[in-house]
Amino acid sequence: MMGMKRIYKNQLLFIVALFAVALYLFPLYWMYTTSLKTDTAIFAIPPQLLPSSPQWQTYIDVWNGSNIVRYMSNSVFIATGVTLVTVIFGSGASYVLARYRNVWIDISLFTVLMLQVLPPSLMVTPIFVAFASIGLLEYPRIATILAFSAKTMPFFVILCRAAFMTIPRELEEAALVDGNSRAGAFVMIVLPLARNGILVAALLIFMQGFGEYVYSASLISDNRLQPASIGMTNYLQPNIVTWNSIMAFAAIYITPILAAFVLLQRHIVNGLTSGALK
Amino acid sequence: MNIDDSTIQIGFTDVNKFYGAYHALNSINLSIPKGQFVALVGPSGCGKSTLLRTLAGLEEISSGTINVGGRTVNDIPPRKRDLAMVFQSYALYPHMNVRENLTYALRLKGVSKEIRANKADEVAAIIGLEDLLDRKPRELSGGQRQRVAMGRAIVREPQAFLFDEPLSNLDASLRVRMRKEIRALHERIGSTSVYVTHDQVEAMTMADHVVVMRAGKIEQQGVPLDLYKNPANCFVAGFIGSPAMNFIPGVIDESGESVTLDFEESPSLPIAQSMQPGRPVVVGLRPEHVELGDAQSCGYAAISISSVEETGSTTYLFSSATPELVIVADGSQQVRSGDVIGVKIAPTNVHLFDPETEVSLSNG
Repeated sequence: MMGMKRIYKNQLLFIVALFAVALYLFPLYWMYTTSLKTDTAIFAIPPQLLPSSPQWQTYIDVWNGSNIVRYMSNSVFIATGVTLVTVIFGSGASYVLARYRNVWIDISLFTVLMLQVLPPSLMVTPIFVAFASIGLLEYPRIATILAFSAKTMPFFVILCRAAFMTIPRELEEAALVDGNSRAGAFVMIVLPLARNGILVAALLIFMQGFGEYVYSASLISDNRLQPASIGMTNYLQPNIVTWNSIMAFAAIYITPILAAFVLLQRHIVNGLTSGALK
Repeated sequence: MNIDDSTIQIGFTDVNKFYGAYHALNSINLSIPKGQFVALVGPSGCGKSTLLRTLAGLEEISSGTINVGGRTVNDIPPRKRDLAMVFQSYALYPHMNVRENLTYALRLKGVSKEIRANKADEVAAIIGLEDLLDRKPRELSGGQRQRVAMGRAIVREPQAFLFDEPLSNLDASLRVRMRKEIRALHERIGSTSVYVTHDQVEAMTMADHVVVMRAGKIEQQGVPLDLYKNPANCFVAGFIGSPAMNFIPGVIDESGESVTLDFEESPSLPIAQSMQPGRPVVVGLRPEHVELGDAQSCGYAAISISSVEETGSTTYLFSSATPELVIVADGSQQVRSGDVIGVKIAPTNVHLFDPETEVSLSNG
């Protein structure tokens, strides 16, 4: 009797989970199908679940006509920059926050978490004014990288701190007694052991940087330096909105990152949970 | 073994350590001659590990001086102290194989790859790990990890070996075996060793010199059997020896040559020295020093037994009177709970302590 109940419960939960996944993935599905539909098919009632005659030409037109390569290289540039800045400064910071315990560390951690709460749209105006006054807006992509790194840093620090905390202190002490300096023990013992956690966090930061919108929109005025997230909005014009082109652009934009995520998902999940479980 | 070599290898002079208001090490004075095996023993939280860690340089001291090989090392970082340490958790580097673990310290010293490889083979032969050099620590059993940790210390040929409870993660039989191996290794290499343990049997069996600590202080230090025979106070008396010494309050008789115990029928025990009549004392009796006999015989005191634990080789008897008296008897003794038996103790085996200061009153 109990066994039957449990099976029903599991099946019910499974159906709920399936439904939730479908709900989350539906926009993605809609993006891909819409990108292949004709203008009339997009607004057909009842909506077509699958395009009756896939318009592959839309992809060719978008690829050729919208500078998508330039936009995407800018996205990669910004995402790489954000990742590098975050990882280089964040690793050291999270190590210190993981190793020392006192009231100042608690205050810093709280502040770091507070920063995570502030939305970019709130921060962007003061950042704009500050960057303008020190001339950083001359290099708008660098400005965006710095501004967005401040946003990704707390997330990275929290993830990495968890990774560092799983590394026994005795390993470092053994390295110190064996002849390492403090910094040497960090580089030769702690970093290699925290590598998975750091890589996963870095990958997540890269993805965030790749999709960044708010700071790019405000800090980068030169069209040639804008990332794909901004480039996409060129299709949104006051009178005509070419939905299939926007969706094709979006598909080209996110498919590589989606593929990377699917390929690496096992490592990502491992990296995220190892700190919590061990 | 070169105990008579009087050169002091490690010296603590008036070492104090505070964690905030907590006095973790209280005026530690300790000299360790070259080649000696010293055990620091005490209950958890007594400061023995802290003392070892200050020696390694992993903790700073608040005052005093620490000397290693004639050099004051107070402000010298761990890497320059030339001491090797074996940790309780072994602390093997998980991302390196056994060979790399063994020779990590040499690599940091800039020793060439060929010499390192030779050294690794040499040490692996000593500790019996020749076949495991390419394994990662996670592929080793507890005992093998323990050996790698030892090998990593040996390979450096340091001024001294520091052991921080290295056997406490092993099961009982392996622990006994490693105890002998570590001792044999020490005699073979002849280097100075400082060994921290909470297990008094380990300390007594392995060390040339035992240091008993409590609450950040050295309570007594000396040759193992001397601590057993002549404990300086109640704490050391109770800590050294298993099962622990029995403590029973008593008063010195009018003759000054015997003590009356505040126990069951107030038996009187002859003592080996002359004391002031009427003086209150604490009488310490080791369970293994209690001799059994007929309760009616002359010289024997009658006590009733409440419970009996038989292990085969030895039998533990527990008195029904309080404070509970524990007796270790030969396994052939036929005593059952509820029996009344006769006991006596040789005068030289009666330890007397001051009830206030807990300091030993026996002159020995």
